[in-house]
Amino acid sequence: MRRGIWIYIGGRLLQSLLVLWIITTILFFLFRQAPGSPLAAYIDTTFTEEQQQALIARFGLDKPMHIQYLTYLGNLIQGDFGDSFRYRAPVTEQIMDVLPNTLYLTLTSLFIAYIIGVVGGVFLASRRGTTVEKGGIIFTLMTRAAPQFWVGMILLAIFAFELRWLPSSGTSSPGVIYRSEIQKLTSIDFWEHMLLPTFTLALFLHGLPLLLMRSNMLEVLDQDYITMGRLAGYSERFLMLRVAARNALLPIVTALALGIGYSIGGNVIIENVFAWPGLGRMLVSAVAGSDYPLAQGAFFIIAVIIVLLNFLADVLYSVLDPRVGSSSQAQGV
Amino acid sequence: MQHEIKVNEITGITDAKVLSGGSLLTNFLRTNAEVFKRDRLALTGLIILVFFALIAIFAPVIAPRGPFEVIEADGFWLSNEKPSTDYLLGTTNLGRDIFSQLIYGSRVALLVGFSAALAVAVIGTIVGLIAGFYGGWVDTILMRLADVAFGIPFLPFIIVLVAFLTPSIWIIVLAMAMLLWRDTSRVIRSQVLVVKEQAFVSAGKVSGASNLRIIFLYIAPSILPLSALYGSLAIGWAILTEASVSFLGFSDPDVVSWGFMLQDAFNSQALSRGAYYWIIPPGLAIMLTVMSGFFISRGYEEVLFPRLRKH
Amino acid sequence: MQNKRHLKISFLVILVVLLGMSLASPAAAQVPVQEPGQPVVPITLLSDVQAADPIEFETTRLLAENMRQLGFEVEHLAQPRDVYLNFVWFNRMDWQMTAWRMVGRPERIDPDEFTFNLFHSSTAESGFNFVGYNNPEYDAIAEAQRVELDVNARRDLIFQAQEIIAEDVPYVFIAHPSLPQLVRTDIWDASTIVDQQGIGLENFWTWTGLTPLGDQRTIIAPAPSNLNAINPLFISGGDDSRITELVWDRLMRIGPDGLPQPWAAEEVTREDDLNVLVRIREGMTWHDGEPVTVEDVKFSFEAPQTGESPMYEPFVSNIADIQIVDDQTVRFVLKEPSATFEIATLSKLNLIPKHIWEPLIEELLTSEDNAESIQEDIPIGSGPYRIVDFDLTEQIILEANPDHFSPPKADGLVLRIIPNAESQLGQIQTGEINFLRNFQGDSEVLVELAESDPNIELFSSPSLGFRFFAFNERVDPFDDPALRRAIAYITPREPIINNIFKGFAVPADSFVSTAIEFWHNPNLPQYEFDFDRAREILAEAGYTWDENGRLIAPPE
Repeated sequence: MRRGIWIYIGGRLLQSLLVLWIITTILFFLFRQAPGSPLAAYIDTTFTEEQQQALIARFGLDKPMHIQYLTYLGNLIQGDFGDSFRYRAPVTEQIMDVLPNTLYLTLTSLFIAYIIGVVGGVFLASRRGTTVEKGGIIFTLMTRAAPQFWVGMILLAIFAFELRWLPSSGTSSPGVIYRSEIQKLTSIDFWEHMLLPTFTLALFLHGLPLLLMRSNMLEVLDQDYITMGRLAGYSERFLMLRVAARNALLPIVTALALGIGYSIGGNVIIENVFAWPGLGRMLVSAVAGSDYPLAQGAFFIIAVIIVLLNFLADVLYSVLDPRVGSSSQAQGV
Repeated sequence: MQHEIKVNEITGITDAKVLSGGSLLTNFLRTNAEVFKRDRLALTGLIILVFFALIAIFAPVIAPRGPFEVIEADGFWLSNEKPSTDYLLGTTNLGRDIFSQLIYGSRVALLVGFSAALAVAVIGTIVGLIAGFYGGWVDTILMRLADVAFGIPFLPFIIVLVAFLTPSIWIIVLAMAMLLWRDTSRVIRSQVLVVKEQAFVSAGKVSGASNLRIIFLYIAPSILPLSALYGSLAIGWAILTEASVSFLGFSDPDVVSWGFMLQDAFNSQALSRGAYYWIIPPGLAIMLTVMSGFFISRGYEEVLFPRLRKH
Repeated sequence: MQNKRHLKISFLVILVVLLGMSLASPAAAQVPVQEPGQPVVPITLLSDVQAADPIEFETTRLLAENMRQLGFEVEHLAQPRDVYLNFVWFNRMDWQMTAWRMVGRPERIDPDEFTFNLFHSSTAESGFNFVGYNNPEYDAIAEAQRVELDVNARRDLIFQAQEIIAEDVPYVFIAHPSLPQLVRTDIWDASTIVDQQGIGLENFWTWTGLTPLGDQRTIIAPAPSNLNAINPLFISGGDDSRITELVWDRLMRIGPDGLPQPWAAEEVTREDDLNVLVRIREGMTWHDGEPVTVEDVKFSFEAPQTGESPMYEPFVSNIADIQIVDDQTVRFVLKEPSATFEIATLSKLNLIPKHIWEPLIEELLTSEDNAESIQEDIPIGSGPYRIVDFDLTEQIILEANPDHFSPPKADGLVLRIIPNAESQLGQIQTGEINFLRNFQGDSEVLVELAESDPNIELFSSPSLGFRFFAFNERVDPFDDPALRRAIAYITPREPIINNIFKGFAVPADSFVSTAIEFWHNPNLPQYEFDFDRAREILAEAGYTWDENGRLIAPPE
């Protein structure tokens, strides 16, 4: 039984690595399709033909495709994404600079979204069949159907420009630069700048856990043991919170792991609206500015995070739900 | 074989469940009728969609002007007009009629929405059917492909693709088709695993029907409502995605979509001008069409998973 | 099993559809060849996309419409800048006509750069003459003005050059945009804003001279996108240069009048055609406290000669030798006479501390990288502002250097990265920023904002940069000057300036801006909008129209 889980996890890990390798390969060929010259960023009156050739050689663009591919894979394994065309500096450095900002924004928003979602889901389930439930569902669907940037801009107009309660862009006030991540996280200024983007993102993200929690609750409440509990005289409140909510939480936990991965990829929009210096904004400006090594690196990191979290979600599920381990053992994964 | 976690982002379904029997296409149609008869929200969604579809079809009749037509007066462009009887929603900063753009925008939204939904549903269903029915190495490879699609970040992938190819709404549809089949195919696959063990399928096999016949005549009809469910979700995602890509400035410059309108409005500082007549309508239009897709998918859910409806 | 084949086929189809699609490559442009007596070949007119550059996009849309009315078959192809840059710049046979722009930079106040680089035939292959203009008469004039040391004689040559270009129409000039700025006049003394001819109000002199009225003594200004680097040996971008010119001193500075004036140099004397003597100021120090010496000055001009700073290399290539005369004096010995040495070299090169850069350059000589890849943690210059801290994606924080010979009036300057134009507008009202510059949105909004808020004032002045349409003279049908001239006549400058630029531009008739009065030729042929004149010109050149109004090329 326990061995089954470990075999399952090992197999799943190999699969994740395979998936990553395929994504890496797709990424390589995708970026070889890029239009424009990688030298676009270099153009000035001053460039001679030889200098251009030297640059092409410097970035290894003159070598045959398969050599470029192997070099690329080799470098990737060592965590080397090459130099950014635009910043003339290692891509890894650029990404490590902004990755924390993306993680803070994503994790905080998800945390808030899942708290609201779980509580809201239980609440709606307890009001099943009422207009409150219907209204709650419609509101939640509205938050998921409205374009994020549109909501973000309207919130900006209200809270930043009309009421002037909150700052509108970046992670810090004029003149403030954080020397370390700890200093950043302990600064009130930083959290003030976090508020608006976090709220906008959480507004969008809370729908999934809320609807999930609600339907899980309804399902659990339908089980025989709940009916038995009712007959045995347990209070509705006890059954709701202690029994049903607990059992309905499992899928939410795994959904959370998946959610982190997906929202990191989807943060592109929010980061652009609020000028948040994160991975998504870096990716967009790298693509728009033909900085292919940087765009490729940012893309790859997002993909790694997603694959990793998908893996964790599966493992978590298999550990929490014993049926998975045994069934996979039976099928000899 | 692994355990897949299937999370439907909108409905909160965590696993596909066994459907009641029935194997013919009529069953599918009956299910559809049932969806809209039973569920008021689904019906509302359908009505909204039909409403926008009518607007899209009759756009040239309804819209007083072309979407890019510049309104001139005495050699000057009539820019930043407030809403009036002549210009129902005012004009843009470059003298275009906002109401006309809104009307024409419905065409792109529905075109992107429906074609992406169709592509996602068709590819996802076929992949799911084949993987589930044949099993073995075919299943393994297709599901690993689905893993790959799951690992590729959705919006960044579309942005890169649109930036590298000529900007066009079809690239967005293509990119969505390339990635979003994953959700549909997984759910369909596990549904097929269940259905193919059922008596009527075995009966078909015994009577010597070919595999394709079994797949398309025996199994497919019973999983079509699931395809429809995922298709109707994809309508919303497609419209939102098109809007996001337009907002980031990667859209087809010759096509007026609601996303393009919002991008244009923000880039022309409509907020600072207080031109809410320019900002609110396209956003509302997007929200309404996307919600109609969600409503319809909920309708399917309630019919497919009747437990949720009991209470 | 018979169904195995079905299975394989369907499997292959799926595989091809899913993965093969990602390898679809963009179609390459094909430039058609003109047959005599046949309809004029279809024209692909390139421009940026509406979202990135609405002005260029709308202007192009208007001209495309007018060209269609004249009988051309035109496709307006809007693509992101980097995509069409690829054709226009790197595949010079693969495009026909494009919208384009040149931006104003202080060193471009002198007409040499535009006169020589844009149209001299030597830069046609891979340089700035991307249109492939080739005229030996013009080449001779462009070369002559470079070595003509008498300023009035040089002006005559520049006037002639402008006339030739106006006649030959390799470009259709549209407008010199005005650069609008919003200033919080409750914080800053508006009378201390300096208008630098052709550069506008946001320039070195404004940044150093802007005087605070009250307690808020730091200039806070937005930049619309991330900076690339802060590096004295790397011209990495427009806003980047805004910072480098404040942090590093130069021997000379281009003054508000557009002429170079001594800066870190006390005095610059031309001993003869080839020898330039420079005496530097006494008592200058680097931001780390070390003194600025003639050794540093010599090193600053020699470092780019090593090839480690490719962008600055051309500006020092005319220097044969730099001699240290005494503690305060150096002599530049030139290879050949140059009229532009002060403006293109002495006003361009940043003075860099030898004690910091010499070891770095030595290391670079043996590595693949060059000086462009170096980013100091806290860059050290000797300029009026020094760097406190910076994050290229967030903000650059500068403080006034009180030890400077010309210290700024403000206490500091913060350049904040704010990509969202709405945020910029909101922030100048809240006071989060107090000097709105490099605004990428609709300028009209600035007018409204300045009118509604008594604390905010609008300043604007025309730039020496310009927008234009460029013809590729290497390909059909644009090797014919008559055709180019006809298109110049159907370019609706006035509606473009009124409606698209919202009045924030002046009409352009030359590559020398009307803002630079000394160099601009006032007697150039004007291409006032005239549809009939365009038809006449084409008819005279042998073009005809078929029954559908389609333009037919002249017979053999």
